[in-house]
Amino acid sequence: MRQLTGTLERKQAYLLLVLPAVMIYFAVIAFPTIFSIVLSVSNYQGGAVFGEKANWSLVGFKHYLRMFKDQYFWISFKNNIWIMLMSLFIQIPLGFVLAYTIFRKLIVGREFFQTVIYMPTIISVIVVAILWQSIFSPYGPVTSFMRMFIPGWENKLVSHPQLAIVPVLFVMVWYYTGMYLIIFLANLQKIDQQVIESAQIDGANEWQMLKAIILPALSGVIVTTAILAISGSLRSFGLIWAMTAGNPARRTSVLALYMYDNAFKGAPNFPLANAISTFMVTVSFVFIVIAKKIEKRFGGKE
Amino acid sequence: MKRLLFVLLALAMVLPVFAAAEKDQAAEGPITLRVLNYADATTPAYAVEKEIWDTFRAQNPDIVLEYEELFDEAFHTKTEAYAAAGRLPDVMFMWPSGRSSTLYNRNLVKDLTPLMAPVKNEFVPIATSPGQFGILGQIPQSTTNTHVLYANLGLLKKLGLSEPKTYADLVAMVPAARAAGVEVVLIPAKSDWVMQSCLFSMVLGRIAGDEFINDVLAGKANFTDKPFVDSLAFIKRLYDDGVISRTALQIDYGEGPALFASEKSLFYIDGAWRVGEFITSPDSGVALIPPAKQQSDFKLMNFPVIPGEKNANSSSVIAGTGFGMNANIEAGSAKEAAAWRLISYLNSAEVLKKRLETGAFSNVTRIGVTASKMEPLQVMNAQLAPAKATYVVDGILDASVYGPINIGLQEMALGTATPEQVAQTTQKAFEEWEISN
Amino acid sequence: MTQIQPMLKPKLSIGAIIARVLLVAILIGFTVMTIYPIIWLIINSFKTSKEFQMNRLGLPIAPTFINYPQAWKIGNFSMLFVNSIFYTGVATLAIVILSLSTSFAFAKIQSKATKPLYNSFVIGILLALESIMVPLFIMSIVTGVYDTRIGILIPYIGLGLPIGVYLGTEFIKSIPDALIESARLEGASYLRIFFSIILPMCIPVAMTLAILTVTSLWNEFMLVNILASRESLKSLPVGILKFSGSLASDYGKQFAALVIGMLPMLIFYLSFRKQIQRGLAAGAVKG
Repeated sequence: MRQLTGTLERKQAYLLLVLPAVMIYFAVIAFPTIFSIVLSVSNYQGGAVFGEKANWSLVGFKHYLRMFKDQYFWISFKNNIWIMLMSLFIQIPLGFVLAYTIFRKLIVGREFFQTVIYMPTIISVIVVAILWQSIFSPYGPVTSFMRMFIPGWENKLVSHPQLAIVPVLFVMVWYYTGMYLIIFLANLQKIDQQVIESAQIDGANEWQMLKAIILPALSGVIVTTAILAISGSLRSFGLIWAMTAGNPARRTSVLALYMYDNAFKGAPNFPLANAISTFMVTVSFVFIVIAKKIEKRFGGKE
Repeated sequence: MKRLLFVLLALAMVLPVFAAAEKDQAAEGPITLRVLNYADATTPAYAVEKEIWDTFRAQNPDIVLEYEELFDEAFHTKTEAYAAAGRLPDVMFMWPSGRSSTLYNRNLVKDLTPLMAPVKNEFVPIATSPGQFGILGQIPQSTTNTHVLYANLGLLKKLGLSEPKTYADLVAMVPAARAAGVEVVLIPAKSDWVMQSCLFSMVLGRIAGDEFINDVLAGKANFTDKPFVDSLAFIKRLYDDGVISRTALQIDYGEGPALFASEKSLFYIDGAWRVGEFITSPDSGVALIPPAKQQSDFKLMNFPVIPGEKNANSSSVIAGTGFGMNANIEAGSAKEAAAWRLISYLNSAEVLKKRLETGAFSNVTRIGVTASKMEPLQVMNAQLAPAKATYVVDGILDASVYGPINIGLQEMALGTATPEQVAQTTQKAFEEWEISN
Repeated sequence: MTQIQPMLKPKLSIGAIIARVLLVAILIGFTVMTIYPIIWLIINSFKTSKEFQMNRLGLPIAPTFINYPQAWKIGNFSMLFVNSIFYTGVATLAIVILSLSTSFAFAKIQSKATKPLYNSFVIGILLALESIMVPLFIMSIVTGVYDTRIGILIPYIGLGLPIGVYLGTEFIKSIPDALIESARLEGASYLRIFFSIILPMCIPVAMTLAILTVTSLWNEFMLVNILASRESLKSLPVGILKFSGSLASDYGKQFAALVIGMLPMLIFYLSFRKQIQRGLAAGAVKG
């Protein structure tokens, strides 16, 4: 290959293919991120960033200290962890099982179900929030439903400090499972049908086939979805922002909302907000490295 | 061929970045004002809002408005972003405190006192005197009771109960209300500001009074002192006595009026501005509570006597919203004159009368402006005069201090903090705020 | 044949039957929970606000159609619609092409730059938009793209690239090297290979990426709200935001606005779905 083409053409092609995306990416994401990290150790309170009008300096890690001392930071972080566990151990398996059911044609009306389960993803969070808010209201259908079995049942779900997050988790399962379904289905369809068919002819049952053929073929995708789930759950914002805004008493807050509250609500504290987001990125980075490590070990055994 | 196409595509994406950098810089000609307004596009009053701005445009061809209009959280986010980047609009909708605090704290808005001086006598004093931050940053267009006890007298009568005079009377209603499957007092307290603004501020005014807050601000008292703790403890007591159900924390602010109108509770607590929700809507002609029923079955009142109160029948009152001006506009410049012309127009009798009639305000700060038609609840609201007006917590304290109070009030409802703990957290937040200022 | 085979299998155990019943139950549960909200929303958009407040879950007693024309007019949706289609369409196209070209280079052209660049893209997936909102806003003003179409498009593209590059690279890696090598032997340039071999093969991943991008961009409101102030540049969700939130007072119009915002997506998705399946099938044959 090398003799034939020469490195110059290869380098040029590489540059041409990569440069536009890299330029935009660095302008839009990388630079603001670095900027955000710098702000997190500064005392910037708005106003000019550069030039002679700029009025801020670096002050070290005091915003991080303040963050770690705040109980609401830990409540938010804990909720992120719940969301992450829920996505990893409910959404992904559920998405996979449903995709597999559709792929293996174990039920009728596959196309219909496939279409429907992905549908929530296209509805705006604003609609989703208003809707579920009405459903979980103390005067809503959940209450009426429960009262059919337990007369006088009081809907105190949200007024319990530890359970307040449960309705949010429930809505998240409903909202995002479709995305995993689509990803799994797309990759299941890449598996060679002939392999599956010949396994069937050899008399392999559903479970054996799953273990011997499907799961190994999907191990890469499982890690992909795990990464999506981890990063998605640490970033989760829109749905909770619209659904509970963190109430009651921040018990349904998450890190992104905690950050938003510190940047845009009444008493803005940009350094603190940026410290939170730096923390968020660091944590998800650590989790993803762990996920990759697990994949390597797991993949090695197969 | 395709390579060329690709390069062109890449260029097409990047080039406009530089091209766009040069924008309109025409110096002479009409004056351009950048305006940020706050408007709810769904209210029947929205048509009137449009009309108000269109009239100004028609009457002032020498002023070009670069008009931006946002609502609710989108508005606040945008304002903070503008403030952060130092690119505030020339004229903007503002609160006297609360979520507009940033604009005052960072001196981004102009003190309108000198401009207001010539027309001072046309307004009530609250609209012309400096607010919490020592400047007249905006001209409040109305004042409002943040606490009103909406009472369903018809339902009370049906249950054989009578109007409460004291808090003990409310507590005595709990068994009867429970038996009938309704709440005693409903408050849509899902968002944390509601409890603080619509109930706690009034309680604090009754038990501690404005003097206490002044003392705290002057360093002569602490939030951990008895009056403040007692006020918090009273909120906790409301839950413990069953006067307010803990499910209040699940009731969205938007749900409140309908629940009260459909007789889910004997009483309802909200701000005076919520009267507009119950009256006949001009576009559909339907009312949550029809005028005849408003007259016969409903009453707006003040909270009954609270144990240990020192200010009888007082209530929390706050200056309303209004329009402010960017501090960067040079004094005496043509731009200032134009911006002031706009603000004066927005505070004119003509405009304020319209706002009064749509139910957006229950009163206006301009003397001598009255609405032509009002429904019973609006009349009751206008007549509801507390014996004494006291501070609203988010109108007198900084956001970093009232924030913990808002959350603390919910913590007490969840049972995760005692009044003493909330008081301590508040005191700590206050001390931190004092250091940073 | 293969379709019926699993069904006819004689050794279908009780466990398998239970599993299947359970699966069907979950699927039906999902279906109800998805269809119901949409119907609920549409039904309520035909109620007046007062009726909705009194009767949140039932059918309208006196259906009204007034909400739609009113919301459309007040919200100036015609203009917002065009803007939304423009932003979503152009950004999605750019994201798909730029991600795939980058992915191709990362996956199939050796370079020392690949590893650090690829890793920095992957870190981008982890980023919350809210965390870079203020820096983005400040940069947007400093560079002069604030309040322009391009100033909204570029951040949109930038935000879609990390996931695009990630999915694209993973996908293109699975394409056999032999395919590219034989084309190279025939003297084809890398760019030519990209356009005539790789791009057609990437249809499945491009479709998945396009769907992910379109759905997230169509509903995006934070960024447009921050980066534009002229009404003529705003998008549909920003217009809808004017009608919503817990402080909004007219639910009927709010729901009409929400339906207006959701319907194009629904139509897009239902019609696009067939194409993605065709794309997936094609991908399965070639890959």
